[in-house]
Amino acid sequence: MGATRIDALEIEHRARMRGLPLDAAAAIARVLAAARLDDARRNEVFEELVTHFEDGLGAGHSAEELAREFGLADFSPSPPTPIPLPRRGNRPMSRVLPDIRYAIRRLIASPGFTLIAVLSLALGIGATTAVFSLVNAVIFRRSPIRAVEEVTDVYESSADFGFNAFSYPDFRDFERGTTQVFSQLAATRFTFSQVMKDGVASRAQGELVTGNYFPLIGIRPALGRLLGPEDDVSPGGHPVVVLSDGYWRRAFGGAPSVLGRPIEMNGRAYTIVGVVSAEYHGNLRGLSPDFYAPMMMVNHLNPADDDQLQSRGYHSLFVKGRLRPGATVAAGAAAAAGVAAELRKIVPDQWKSGDTFKLIPTRQVILFPTVDQLLYPIAGLLFTVVGLVLLVVCANLASFLLARAVDRRKEIAVRLALGATRGSLVAQLLTETLLLGALGGAGGLGVAALVARILTTADLPLPFPITLELGLDARALLFATAVSVAAGILFGLMPALRASNPHLATTLRDESAGGGGRGRLALRHALVVAQVAVSMVLLVGAGLFLRSLESVRAVDPGFGREPAGLMEVSFPPTRYAEGRLLLAERQLAARLRELPGVTAVGMIDNLPLTLVNTQNTDVNTPGVQPPAGREGFDADLAVVDSGFFAAAGIRLLRGRDFTPADADGAPRVIIVNEALAKRLWPGQEPLGKHITRNRDRDYQVVGVVATTKIRSIGEDPRSGIYLPLAQARSSSVWYLARTSGDADRLTTAMVRATQSMDPEIISVDVRTMARHLDVVRLPIRLAALVIGALAALAMVLAGIGLYGTVQYSVAQRTREVGIRLALGADAGAMVRMLTGGGLRLVVWGGAVGLLVAVLLARLVGGLLFGVPALDPLTFFGVPLLLFAVAGIAAWLPARRVSRVAATEALRADG
Amino acid sequence: MRIERELMRGAGPVTVLRLLKQREMYGYELVEALSRRTDGVLAMGQSTLYPLLYSLEAKGLLKSQWREATSGRRRKYYAVTPRGAEFLRAQQSQWRRLVTAMTGLGLLGARHSEV
Repeated sequence: MGATRIDALEIEHRARMRGLPLDAAAAIARVLAAARLDDARRNEVFEELVTHFEDGLGAGHSAEELAREFGLADFSPSPPTPIPLPRRGNRPMSRVLPDIRYAIRRLIASPGFTLIAVLSLALGIGATTAVFSLVNAVIFRRSPIRAVEEVTDVYESSADFGFNAFSYPDFRDFERGTTQVFSQLAATRFTFSQVMKDGVASRAQGELVTGNYFPLIGIRPALGRLLGPEDDVSPGGHPVVVLSDGYWRRAFGGAPSVLGRPIEMNGRAYTIVGVVSAEYHGNLRGLSPDFYAPMMMVNHLNPADDDQLQSRGYHSLFVKGRLRPGATVAAGAAAAAGVAAELRKIVPDQWKSGDTFKLIPTRQVILFPTVDQLLYPIAGLLFTVVGLVLLVVCANLASFLLARAVDRRKEIAVRLALGATRGSLVAQLLTETLLLGALGGAGGLGVAALVARILTTADLPLPFPITLELGLDARALLFATAVSVAAGILFGLMPALRASNPHLATTLRDESAGGGGRGRLALRHALVVAQVAVSMVLLVGAGLFLRSLESVRAVDPGFGREPAGLMEVSFPPTRYAEGRLLLAERQLAARLRELPGVTAVGMIDNLPLTLVNTQNTDVNTPGVQPPAGREGFDADLAVVDSGFFAAAGIRLLRGRDFTPADADGAPRVIIVNEALAKRLWPGQEPLGKHITRNRDRDYQVVGVVATTKIRSIGEDPRSGIYLPLAQARSSSVWYLARTSGDADRLTTAMVRATQSMDPEIISVDVRTMARHLDVVRLPIRLAALVIGALAALAMVLAGIGLYGTVQYSVAQRTREVGIRLALGADAGAMVRMLTGGGLRLVVWGGAVGLLVAVLLARLVGGLLFGVPALDPLTFFGVPLLLFAVAGIAAWLPARRVSRVAATEALRADG
Repeated sequence: MRIERELMRGAGPVTVLRLLKQREMYGYELVEALSRRTDGVLAMGQSTLYPLLYSLEAKGLLKSQWREATSGRRRKYYAVTPRGAEFLRAQQSQWRRLVTAMTGLGLLGARHSEV
């Protein structure tokens, strides 16, 4: 009994050094060595027993007599006499604590193993917890709405848009037609406004709400009051605003004196009437507004070309309704259908046949129905990936523990012989793995917090600022704890059950010469196969997304090949009315043109590929019938100045560019893209043809430009039209400045040039062209990055697991190899034999993994870009990579054994 | 003569607590006292006593302290905690009931009924 024997000899020696006779020293050593005590406790008992013997000897007893009294006492902390005590479970703390102390000692004793185990667990648990808190923040957020089960979202629906936002007149008509079903109906829309405070202009994001909105959701103000129906009566007549808690603290230092104070928004003074409670973050998840203002102020706070309270062309309102007691969603849908039928009669231009309303209970909506459809598969994919990594981590640790169990066989046999129950042994072994799980969980929380921090502070090229409440809340902590415990049991239970099997432990008395333990080996092999399989699945996933990224990069968006700076500018509407706006816009363009390195400057109101690009219109041309059931040809619309095409690098195929002569009052002209020209006039000369827009305004085609990507990088060529800035002015505009120098530096200079012209003009958004184009690649890039990183982690772990397994089996066969080498076997053949054993496992795991990957690839096919789900390159390359890595992992330990001299190998049977 | 193992299981803790309730003692002293005060009936070997002491200490019924004895030797003294005293009281009433019951059965009590 290895360690125990050494302990006994040492204790006996110490007792002898204290002057005790041999019999006494041996008696103390016998009981102490068998007892399961930690060092401090053991020393104390030792001291006490020594004084006991000294007292006994002093009283005239013989050492032999005293020693006989000791018998085979059990000095373990477990009580020999069960004493009934109130409030004690089956396993009192007095037994658990030594288990924990013992586990800590063992973990400290093998720091290498502990470090790898805790690190890999931290990564696995951290990744899982981070994904959970992300999903928690996005999907499982509790609704702040009172009695949310009575509330339903309403959307417009047409052939083009499965779900669309409302226009204001549609909202009013809907409200009027459904009073029988809804007790309250409310709408919000998102807006940006320019706020002037202490002479500094800044951009604030806000929500415009109808009078019923706050009463409907039923939240309370933190200060002052919220907005009500009385604030939403006459257009432009309610300059009042409610601040969000965050903005109130940021901009006003949380001072209660803000109530009644004016705040200058878009050049007009608005009165602050209240502050919303801190728990409320607006109607749209992720877009935390700074302020809330009455919908009646929409034309002032969000200027557009037409009156947004009258036009049915501005679809920006998100509508919610509270059902009357007893009313069902179905009843609401029936009433809505009635309104839609009415609208199709009254405004047939806007309400085509088939256009209708859709009702969805608010609880079932996360962001927006069409977006939600993607969220669940993405969340599922993320959970699958991190779950698989955690499984690999657990399999790896289980495999390590099985190997360690061999070292502990003797210790366990001794304990069983001394009467320890199997349950107490399993408990002890599980204490160790649970402790590892706890340490890994603690590290995992750190990793998750770090990931959350990176996610919330990452400078992602998003189209608008997104705020996620990604804190590690109680739910995330609970989740991490559960995962840690589950992991500790998952990787610890099987080795613990095996190690404590009394039949195994007692019969395996001495098998250091190798050979035995087949069952254990088979289990380790199974674990390696599982790890390789999981790694294969993850690597294939990473490969598919990397290939998607490659195809996305290969797509030519049709503009922005040259380095350029982009800046969206908003001119304060009060200072730059009708006539002065165009002048100021051109003046700023001229200033930008003078910046060093700038080779061309252009303006566009609707930058392609911004993800929020929704400006489209119906166009017709004489003599060409629109598609069946349509009023005209759908085309995307942008307003540009005469410098835009040159600056953006969009080729002019025919005709001419716009010129300053295309002014307001001059003949209306239009430039079409190639896709529209081919659609309207295939094989004909498009120049000089006429186009009508929305069946009234007439334009003459003066040029044809190359088709660019407009809404998404993967789209088929879309029809597009361009109008000259002077003839179709727009309130906000993007400047595109091409440069021969560094685009990053240019963007800073562009903002400075704008501020120096007029500090009240705000640069709403500034970015380089490269960054702008990154937006469309972001989802695929993130997927490739995340899955790639996790797949690499899984592969490394699987490699380590394989290395350990081969090394273990090599160590078991050292004697056999030594004999063979001594008998003249070829060293190379020995290495091949040992490596081959490991690689067989890889082939099995790889085959299983590939099969699973084929099934899963079909499921994620929709998230890929330009790559078939069963991409041959991926499905061929990934196994090669995995086999190469596995081959090295198996070969390294195998090679070592062949280098061992034959004599050494023969000696290696300790 | 010594008491049977099974009976000792129940009597051991109470006996030790009772002795220590009167005054603090160290291990060897306790062994001697058990043997002396009970005419050797409740004497227990060190193999039983020390594990019992540790167990009672782990349960919070006893506390221990290393102290210099008058002779100048360091020894570990054991004393009853309030919790131990409470436990002892509860046990005492149980023992009393047991003795009453057994007396009623004629097992204990009248010395003359013994053979």
